[in-house]
Amino acid sequence: MKLTYDWWLLAPVLIPAVGSVLVLLLDALAPRLGRVHWAITAVLLLAGAAAVVPNALPSADNPRDTLCLPAGTCLYSLDHVGVGLQLTALVSGAVIALLALPIRVPAERAAVQATLLLAATAGATGVVAARDLGSWLVMLELATLPAVALVALRARRSAVDGALSRLTTSLVSFAITAMGAALWFAATGSALFTGDAVLNAAHDTDSRRILVLAVVFIIAGLAFKMSLAPFHVWTPEAFGGASVPIGGFLAVTSKAAALAALLVIFRGVTVLGTSALAAIGVLSAVSMTLGNVMALRERNALRFLAWSTVSQAGWVVLPLATVSSRAVRSAAAYLVVYAVATLVAFIVVTALAHADGREHATGLASYKGLLRRRPVLAVTLALALLTLMGLPPAVIGLVAKVAAIGPVAGGRLWVLAVIAAINAMLGVAVYLRWLRMLFGATKGPDRADRLHPVHHALVIVGAAALVVTSVAPHSLLQIVGR
Amino acid sequence: MVVALLVAPLAPIVAGLALVTGDRSLRSVSRHTAYIVSLLATLASLAASVLIAKDRPVLDRQWVPEIGMRLHLAVDGISVPLLLMTAAIGVLVVLHARHEQPDGGTPATFFGCLLLVIGGGIATFLVQDAISFFLAFEVVLVPMWVLIGRFGDRRDARERARAAYTFVLYTVLGSTLMLIGILTMTFAAGTSDLAGIAAHPLPAGGQTVVALILLVGLGIKVPMWPLHSWLPRAHTVAPTAGSMLLAAVLLKMGTYGVVRLVLAPLPEGVHRLAPYVGALAVIGIIWGGLVCLVERSLKRLVAWSSVAHMGFVLLGMMSGTEIGLQAALYANIAHGVISALLFAVVGGLKHRWGDDDLDTVRRSLRDISPRLSLTFVIGFAAAMGLPGLAGFWGEVLAIFGAWSPGAGLPSRWFHVLAAGASVGAVLAAGYALRVLWVVWHGSAQGGLPPKPEPESDARGNEWVVAAVLGAAAIALGVIPTVLLHATADAVTHLMAVAGR
Repeated sequence: MKLTYDWWLLAPVLIPAVGSVLVLLLDALAPRLGRVHWAITAVLLLAGAAAVVPNALPSADNPRDTLCLPAGTCLYSLDHVGVGLQLTALVSGAVIALLALPIRVPAERAAVQATLLLAATAGATGVVAARDLGSWLVMLELATLPAVALVALRARRSAVDGALSRLTTSLVSFAITAMGAALWFAATGSALFTGDAVLNAAHDTDSRRILVLAVVFIIAGLAFKMSLAPFHVWTPEAFGGASVPIGGFLAVTSKAAALAALLVIFRGVTVLGTSALAAIGVLSAVSMTLGNVMALRERNALRFLAWSTVSQAGWVVLPLATVSSRAVRSAAAYLVVYAVATLVAFIVVTALAHADGREHATGLASYKGLLRRRPVLAVTLALALLTLMGLPPAVIGLVAKVAAIGPVAGGRLWVLAVIAAINAMLGVAVYLRWLRMLFGATKGPDRADRLHPVHHALVIVGAAALVVTSVAPHSLLQIVGR
Repeated sequence: MVVALLVAPLAPIVAGLALVTGDRSLRSVSRHTAYIVSLLATLASLAASVLIAKDRPVLDRQWVPEIGMRLHLAVDGISVPLLLMTAAIGVLVVLHARHEQPDGGTPATFFGCLLLVIGGGIATFLVQDAISFFLAFEVVLVPMWVLIGRFGDRRDARERARAAYTFVLYTVLGSTLMLIGILTMTFAAGTSDLAGIAAHPLPAGGQTVVALILLVGLGIKVPMWPLHSWLPRAHTVAPTAGSMLLAAVLLKMGTYGVVRLVLAPLPEGVHRLAPYVGALAVIGIIWGGLVCLVERSLKRLVAWSSVAHMGFVLLGMMSGTEIGLQAALYANIAHGVISALLFAVVGGLKHRWGDDDLDTVRRSLRDISPRLSLTFVIGFAAAMGLPGLAGFWGEVLAIFGAWSPGAGLPSRWFHVLAAGASVGAVLAAGYALRVLWVVWHGSAQGGLPPKPEPESDARGNEWVVAAVLGAAAIALGVIPTVLLHATADAVTHLMAVAGR
């Protein structure tokens, strides 16, 4: 069997994957380099992102394929939405590496963590373009399993608890997804996602039943990874236990990977029609509502962000409840905006945790008066929260909300649309709670250390990103194509 | 002249953002600087609005193609009066804010938030694209939340927070419902242009559902009974300048939305829902009037009278006649002027008295503060719909329109509604006279009248604001034809499109 290779197209996956091995080698040759590993990781991931950029140019409108078999089917295919998701995964991974850089950990651990981060990001980048069951499943697990270790490596009791709950759900979800994949193969007789096999299977009554079951299994398995309710149980534990940047990794990079995996099989779902889509609609509605309601009472900033990511996951998959040509693009657009806003929120929390101590930064109450104490951090956090609420002046958040509701309203799913509207209201209540604390009298440690320069720079870049994308939303949204 | 289209909304918005973010992070801004910046921004915006009203320029650009949002700014006969009123009220609100700046935050934040609300209001009346309409709608939310929640009544922190939350949550729910309706129509019409949406109506069955969703969404903003409960609470707590904006600008955004998004593109849906919405409007009129008869808090009373007045606007719109729609647009503007006047005066009184309880025995206003008392009388006389003042024409024409509703509407039912609205007008006279008796006449017990207290009367900016608004209320009542002519062509056009 002869495969064709387009190395440029594969570079975004290969750079982090090879990089993770190189980091380990470097650690073996020159032990205890500590932070250097994080710097290398960030550089590698940004290099990967740079390799994606040529594919994001408007000229690259058609899907670009490689690893093509002689028969003409390709195992690796990158369309415009995929480009956007790859960029999201790589850039967010790089930001997480930079966030982790100043944090003091035992020197021998840094290399391991950096390797794991690189491997997980490689998985997230690869799953976007995987077009066959085997590599899809491997890439998906590559994106998931290292995250368990990343959570555990904080080596506190709460971190181990979080990692354990993440590990169990990962294994369960892997089992479910693998079961779904097996059923998929049984129904279609093909290990490929593209091609006519899916259509044929959907038209045959017997294989259609198996295919429905396969899709339900796969969606359930992915729902674990995306922390969609009711498969979200690991989320607050893992976020609360992990070190702050790793929480950001779970919230952004892992979510991009899970959405990418879902989008790969989404074509199969649409073939099955509304019943399979209804499952996504229900997951979305339950997720949004539960996440918002729980976040309303949460007092820990990290767990608050965990619940927020549960509800936002519902918004991400909301457009996928319809058979609309725009559904995939809308979901990706919402994810990209969510990724930027959540990443900025995590940058602020990390910076604060590093400067004032983790205990201080994790309590929501200690954000009281942040505007007076650290105006730059407070304004940046406020912008991130406004984006997540979808209210001006954060226009980009509002645009994302419009994009997410668009296909649902266009498809006239009134019940789902009204649930979304109610959750838009609940979401505002949730984030306003935090926003309101930024004003008012100061309640913080007497001694406030300066921010680490790397963190300071990231905060400013994050704020600038939100401002620029709010003025010109097109600049961000075009990476998932028109 | 296209520049004017951008200056009108952006001058206040940019100045507002600069004030809010520049304060503290760069250097602290003095009260005087904030005032001058705000005054210049609103004056620029007013000048631009006048130019727009005269020249009618059009700007149409691609903006965010991903969600089909265009930057399409223009005006017609329906939006021009609202645009001018918002810009003018904006200047007056800034003048008033110089006179009365509440505690709770820095002056720059206060003025900045006022400017953002004004800019959002102006943008709402300029955009011709349904999705950017939603965007403009949302611009006012956060600054208004800050105005109520931070600069509101200092006496009760809990109530302040609750009022701010109620306002923002109700409104977000309403506007998101509106968004659903907008997106459904956009999807069906293939364009988000307001004219385009109106030109490609949905099939009749779909219209009712979409109209229902939109009317519930916009009904929260208007507010329509029984979705009004955020309004009295927000008004009671809000600072005077915030109340003026809330009544004169924010509520108008709701009714304007009904005209643009419901009446024009969904005629059949409106036709089916009109009897029910009309009934809710009349319930609102009577309900508001009855509450006003017993309400003790003066500010809350004015807020409740707003609920009643907006009932007339809705009733006129639902009558399905040209005259009814004209009446609604007229009453819209009239209510903007009257309520701004009332809130300015009543807010001033609350500031002087320390509270606004009507049961507290006070000396008569006419003796102590002649200027305040004059504008107070004009305001309440106009609110009760006295002929010769602004409130009269809107109410009378709305009842007239409802008495002979458009073709196909149940005329007997609308007779009942018109009768109910008339009862509401009588109630308005009742509560207005009650308030005038208590406040204007006061507890004077015969004998020599007490000496005037010029030092406590309206002076400077406050007197300018009250006098201008009072004069506008009289002018609108004496020469209603100016406004009616301005809207006539656009209304005829709209009815022709909708009646097709």
